[in-house]
Amino acid sequence: MSNERTNSYSLWRHQQRLAPYLFVAPFMILFCVFGIYPIVKSLYLAFHVTNGPRSVVFTGLSNFRFLLQDPDFYSAVKNTAIFAFFSVFLQLPLSLGLALLLNSRWLKGRDVFRFIFFTPNLVGQVFVGVLAGVLFVPRFGLVTRFLHWAFNANLDMKLLGDPDLVMPALVGTALWMYVGFNCIYFLAALQSVDKELHEAAAVDGANRWQQFIHITIPAIKPVALIVVIMSTLGSFQLFELPFMMMGGPGPNKAGLTVVMYLYQRGFDIGNLGYASTIGWTLALIVLTISLAQVRISGAVRGQR
Amino acid sequence: MDYPPGKAPLAILIVAIVSGFLLLIYPAKKSAGNLQVWTFADSHFKAYQKVVPQFEKTHPGVKVDLQFVEGRAVTSRLRAAFASDLPVPDMLETEISSAGTFFLGPLEDVGFRDLTEELHKPRPDGPPWIERVVRSRFAPYTSRRIVNGKAEDHIFGLPHDVHPVLLGYRRDVFEKHGIDAEKLTTWDAFLTEGRKLLAKLNVDKSGDGKPEMNHYLIGLSDTDCGDLEVLLFQRDGQYFDAEGRVRMDDEIAVKTMLWYVPLVAGPERVGYPVGWNWELTDKAVQSDLILSYVMPDWLTGFFEQHVPSGHGKLALMPLPAFEPGGRRTSTRGGTMLGFTKKSKQFATCWELGLLMYFDIESRAEQFKELNILSPLKGSWDHPLLKAPKPYWSNQPLGQLFASQADNTPPQYTSPYIQLAKAKLGEALCDCVARYNAKGARGFEAYVRKRLKQSADELRLQMTMNPYQ
Repeated sequence: MSNERTNSYSLWRHQQRLAPYLFVAPFMILFCVFGIYPIVKSLYLAFHVTNGPRSVVFTGLSNFRFLLQDPDFYSAVKNTAIFAFFSVFLQLPLSLGLALLLNSRWLKGRDVFRFIFFTPNLVGQVFVGVLAGVLFVPRFGLVTRFLHWAFNANLDMKLLGDPDLVMPALVGTALWMYVGFNCIYFLAALQSVDKELHEAAAVDGANRWQQFIHITIPAIKPVALIVVIMSTLGSFQLFELPFMMMGGPGPNKAGLTVVMYLYQRGFDIGNLGYASTIGWTLALIVLTISLAQVRISGAVRGQR
Repeated sequence: MDYPPGKAPLAILIVAIVSGFLLLIYPAKKSAGNLQVWTFADSHFKAYQKVVPQFEKTHPGVKVDLQFVEGRAVTSRLRAAFASDLPVPDMLETEISSAGTFFLGPLEDVGFRDLTEELHKPRPDGPPWIERVVRSRFAPYTSRRIVNGKAEDHIFGLPHDVHPVLLGYRRDVFEKHGIDAEKLTTWDAFLTEGRKLLAKLNVDKSGDGKPEMNHYLIGLSDTDCGDLEVLLFQRDGQYFDAEGRVRMDDEIAVKTMLWYVPLVAGPERVGYPVGWNWELTDKAVQSDLILSYVMPDWLTGFFEQHVPSGHGKLALMPLPAFEPGGRRTSTRGGTMLGFTKKSKQFATCWELGLLMYFDIESRAEQFKELNILSPLKGSWDHPLLKAPKPYWSNQPLGQLFASQADNTPPQYTSPYIQLAKAKLGEALCDCVARYNAKGARGFEAYVRKRLKQSADELRLQMTMNPYQ
């Protein structure tokens, strides 16, 4: 009886030690297969050139050296950076403005407006890209006709066919998709601002603008930084929108982004090695930007 | 029920268990076929559905699993399957601009079977297949390798089509203004008469001294290189030569760009981009926006289906030539049928391929449905190709295309063909912008420089290929 008890206890102790690993094992296996292995393999491929289904030729750092002299890569980085800049710094004031409107006491049907602003984000970039491709058609597209009616714009204006107009079209479409999404973050932040601070400021003689600058903005700064970081990361991963709107990089590479360039080299030409190089370079760029943003946000928190 | 993580996770868990259970008891249907064929074109899929029962009747025990797989999916799935030894179809169609990408690397790594020997085999009923088919149509599916200083051609696909290009014009508009378009046999003549017609149609309605540009002579893009390449091929220009060397900055390319850009840019432009939205194309026909179109055979089928306003108004004529007596056609697009090396039933697949592609009756039926001309010369005399088509002003479409088919220029391929098209498109955009800004002043020097830049960028990318 005593032996049975001891065996049972040691079995229970053994199970207790193993149980956490067993519970974590399914996730870890999947993560290793679909997460770690592709990352390691892509790092391996970044130092090789693939040509054809099976040939993988080691080339050392030549992929990275080639990247540094590749004009298409620089075009892609430039387009992506421009998109990220305008996307983020136009989104911020627009989302905040919408959130302020939604937070107004006099607004009726707040839930309906919230739904309307948020809905574009629900349908996904592929759907929005296809839709935008139709709306921007010269002469017959709704957006083209509206711009002609409202601003006397040229009816033959090719929003997706003119290299100078592609980026504004992309930024405008992205704003329509994501302003509502970010507005929800700001709305939540605005609703968490202590009303007593506003009342106290009003008693001290501060007008609405001063209250906005000195109370509201500092209170929502952490959320604003999250919105900036997420928008930047999302912008650097831009691919579906220009791909669906123009079927590719568009006229004169005006819509070529880094991820699209990676896709072209990897899946259109079949050079997975060079595509991996592009991927790792993009990861480094995004990491650098994220670290810079985190540093700035740390500096801002220090100021508070 | 008391579930520690809460009600929502419990609901998710129940849904996951139920859906997993349903998947187990209703698994995905496995194909009943033992010969898998992929096609990316819906029109081809419908046409082959009529051919398959006929084949299965004559080949008991063979069950064809015909699948429609979207174009890009064919390329990416096939590339992944070739690279990782996954199952591939026995035979499949791939589009002309993707075909070359599968010929990258050593010959033994190419996933398609080399058909060169089969095509040259003598046949009991006549010459070998290579001589019965328009020879230039094998070029996009041929990989030339230099072995011991000698060039060896390896053909990896059967051509589905010729895709000769004619000019589709608004017969009603031209006739109303007394122009016999068929007499305009050169581009110079066509453009001269066309400009006079536009001067009559584009009038100043608003009184500002400038005519409203509501009519254009020809559908040509100023950003996409698709129309430019048709005219480049007509002049014997190419992206690559037969050995895969870049040719898109040679003298023919320069001359073609110099001729093309003023048609789509500047104050004297006569071209307007057509685009691929059919409702808008129909609107363009209704409003007489574009008076002629560069028309490969497959596009005529799309117009019949999706542009009802053109019925009876459009007619076809050979492309005007660049010089008197010159070539009056070109080519655009193409499809090949490839047989994968992994297939263990090549002989059966080959017979099916011959039925789908080189059987005169089935190709004549396909022409009746799709207006796509077979590259098989023997099929061009079939009565179905002589039948008048009411949409095209009762013209015998098949005969018209067949009359130019043997003259179609080749399209040499390369794994970098898609990149080459993108680079030509970039050069076109820049040349158009330059012409719009500065006109003809110094334009030739600019075109030469710009084409060379595109070609050199392409050559730079090609240096990454150790097998090039």
